[in-house]
Amino acid sequence: MVVGDIATGTDVVVIGGGPAGYTAAIRAAQLDLDVTLVEKDAYGGTCLNHGCIPSKALVTASSLAHDASTAEEMGIHAGIDVDLKGMVSWKDNIVEQLTSGVEKLCKANGINLVEGKATFADENKVRIVHDGEGQGSESIEFEHAIIATGSHPIEIPGFEFDSEHILSSRDALALESVPESLVVIGAGYIGMELSTVFAKLGTDVTVVEMLEDALPTYESDVARVVKQRAEELGVEFHFEESAQEWEPSGDGITVRTESEDTINEYGAEMALVAVGRAPVTDTLNLESAGIETDKKGFIPTDDRTRTNVDHVYAVGDVAGEPMLAHTGMKEGHVASEVIAGEPAAFDYPAVPAAVFTDPEIGTVGLTESEAEAEGFEPVVGQMPMRASGRALTLNESDGFVRIVADGPSGFVLGAQIVGPEASELIAELGLAIEMGATLEDVATTIHTHPTLSEAVMEAAANASGSAIHTLNR
Amino acid sequence: MVREFKLPDVGEGVAEGEIVSWLVEAGDPVEEDQPVAEVETDKAVVDVPSPVNGTVAELRAEEGEVVPVGDVIIVFTVEGEEQQQKSDTESEDSDPTDSAETDTDTSSRVFAAPSARRLARELGVDISAVDGSGPGGRISGSDVRAHAEGSDPEPANNTAEPSEATDVEPVTEDVSDTTTPRSVPSSSADREQTLAAPATRKLAKEHEIDINTVPTDEEHDGQPFVTPEQVRSFAETQQAAQQADARAMQTAGPSEREERIPYRGIRRTIGKQMERSKYTAPHVTHHDEVDVTELVETRSDLKQVAEEQGVSLTYMPFVMKAVVAGLKEFPYLNSSLDETSDEIILKNYYNIGVGVATDAGLMVPVVDDVDRKGLLQIASEMNERVLKARERSITREEMQGGTFTITNFGAVGGEYATPIINYPETAILGLGEIKEKPRVVDGEVVPRKVMTLSLSIDHRVIDGAIAGQFANTVKRYLNNPSLLLLE
Repeated sequence: MVVGDIATGTDVVVIGGGPAGYTAAIRAAQLDLDVTLVEKDAYGGTCLNHGCIPSKALVTASSLAHDASTAEEMGIHAGIDVDLKGMVSWKDNIVEQLTSGVEKLCKANGINLVEGKATFADENKVRIVHDGEGQGSESIEFEHAIIATGSHPIEIPGFEFDSEHILSSRDALALESVPESLVVIGAGYIGMELSTVFAKLGTDVTVVEMLEDALPTYESDVARVVKQRAEELGVEFHFEESAQEWEPSGDGITVRTESEDTINEYGAEMALVAVGRAPVTDTLNLESAGIETDKKGFIPTDDRTRTNVDHVYAVGDVAGEPMLAHTGMKEGHVASEVIAGEPAAFDYPAVPAAVFTDPEIGTVGLTESEAEAEGFEPVVGQMPMRASGRALTLNESDGFVRIVADGPSGFVLGAQIVGPEASELIAELGLAIEMGATLEDVATTIHTHPTLSEAVMEAAANASGSAIHTLNR
Repeated sequence: MVREFKLPDVGEGVAEGEIVSWLVEAGDPVEEDQPVAEVETDKAVVDVPSPVNGTVAELRAEEGEVVPVGDVIIVFTVEGEEQQQKSDTESEDSDPTDSAETDTDTSSRVFAAPSARRLARELGVDISAVDGSGPGGRISGSDVRAHAEGSDPEPANNTAEPSEATDVEPVTEDVSDTTTPRSVPSSSADREQTLAAPATRKLAKEHEIDINTVPTDEEHDGQPFVTPEQVRSFAETQQAAQQADARAMQTAGPSEREERIPYRGIRRTIGKQMERSKYTAPHVTHHDEVDVTELVETRSDLKQVAEEQGVSLTYMPFVMKAVVAGLKEFPYLNSSLDETSDEIILKNYYNIGVGVATDAGLMVPVVDDVDRKGLLQIASEMNERVLKARERSITREEMQGGTFTITNFGAVGGEYATPIINYPETAILGLGEIKEKPRVVDGEVVPRKVMTLSLSIDHRVIDGAIAGQFANTVKRYLNNPSLLLLE
């Protein structure tokens, strides 16, 4: 006991108020458990404050600006003036609305909210250190703990974040003016989303990627659609180059990269480093509770979200890939229901994912080659967006819908969509996989005309050679 | 090594079989082809032989259990090869199954909706062991429930809503009693109108109770008035009564007012056959009678001769010969309708089935090529097969391939009936009892031996006139048995 420490007891302590943590806390409260939620910074976590939500606000606003200024084909002539400060403040309002909503929901559900940093004292107690001098600390004794501390952007050596020259994604979403030029290090989904945003706002964007292609975790024909569109927007790509160092030059910086046989320099106003995210576990003092982590610092869990310590659970980014808010939320649900003795488990056959580039990418379940590797005999159906009337009227006809299914049984196993609203369209196929729907089920369900969702129906029909609006293979 | 043995298709197109009895126990050594189980399918009890030399490791089905073809019923350990552990719940099998179900043994993926997966966890069911009834083998909530009830009659956590019908649908013998029992407590009311607060009406709706049935002695303005408490207590009584009913249904024993006999095996096969025939073929029955006075004499003469040869001669062989004579003249009664190709198949062979009442139910042994056999041969073959049917040792083959059936309902008495055609045949002849009756012969009323005939035909293929003419031919032969010598 530290002097001045106040110890309180709770059924469930949730560490971290992001999507995984607040979902766990609210669900536990709904199940009549006494819940304490500890948050060190802002309710809503990375997702609401510095990730999904603010980035989507800027994706929308930058697309609007760009589309309005390039709509002559539709007979629209507009002079566009972007005030990034105004745009960011609109975004901040949305964030504020959502985060205060989360806080209100927690309070309304009778959750004890504690602000501060939590560290494990032993396997039944956490210490909370409050921010600021003289604010003291307190201890909370718990029956069950749910760790939901999330993740943070990874720095690369020589490129420490300084919010001025070297930006994290979080910094980039809080800029007050549109940079003239930007070097983006990393062509994963975060790098690609933000490259697209700034290119549409008029920034000269140069992307440097260590691997040989953009969006390396996606199939090449999916990534190709997005990369080509980015190039049309003026984004310059340099693959198989790794960023080595940077130095200030004039009003901006010079970034030095190395490829196999050359050294290259790119000048820009600033650089954005988007090479991935790492779990927040080193501040928790996990060893004093006996909680194990893997080599990368993630906390391994079973399908009930349990760690190696029976009454301690881990949910969200901290529990490992896929680091997606929606996975975290479901894990939060599962953790609290398991604690309450409900028969819950994280047993999802497929988790959807979306990338908010131009066009968007939506994927769920298995690719064709993954299905083969799992021992299925996959059949594939595809529908190009250029054959979709609705895509043409949206003036966005790049991309396609692809559905992967098991040949003998017809079960839908996965889908890859690249095109307008792919992030929304993928939901239908997520449901199809969860429900064990077959190609026939999807293909014979009536879809509204004229909509993008018809492309999903047509892709399913194409797999069995009965699509109407595209040639069947 | 472990060898899982699936229930084979012990007869053409059999979907399931009932394990009547195990002939071996776990630990028993077995030799290849040694019978390990008696399985009752359609209309026969079949011995299932062991496919290997080895030891019985495990019996996977209970006696009395109905097992779908293709399910593992027994596990053998094969000697001389190394032991391999396999978990109990393992249902994976690398042999491609030849059952109609698409059994993708490719991946361990289970196709079931989240709600079904959750139900499985709730009931403690390993969902990968559940057989899915949906398209492609998708597993539904009812599949999970059925599995739980099959393997674990009392799930530890049975808090689920009233469960749907399981895979066993009891059918009562009494046709008038096929409605679902509903408990209506004797104290329930039945009013036209009831006063109640909106909240009370809502409560009644939630409990799925008609507010007019809630008993009350309270009144408002002379109208019956119901309070929320009354709704609640009525709901509880209803529920208790329903649960008691459900329990009674599950545990009904012989001491109860009703007995529930599982509708399965031979009984169900007969039922399905009859249903299919009756709902497929439009039946018309032609009734007539024939004077068999001479036949009775002929038979009693020949009976002696037959007995010397160790054959018991009944009337049936005579009828069979007469029928074949009629069939040769009217081939459409010796046919079947192929609905898929829209063709009528006329058969130039005469395999006559004979309906036999056995303890297990109606069976139809077949005597092949009746047209090429003499009376005695027909009699001895028929007697042998009838006996086998009664002893339930008859094989499926001995009951297949019939082209026309004769059923002797007169054996237990009666004059006329409306026999159901043994589908896919197109006609069946029913025989009534031979009785002495007053008949007019040459203007005189004299006692004659009379047999009644009831001929059912498939009106899709045969018209009434043809049926009548066929019956006349049969009558002619039975009336004058010496004509049979020409056959």
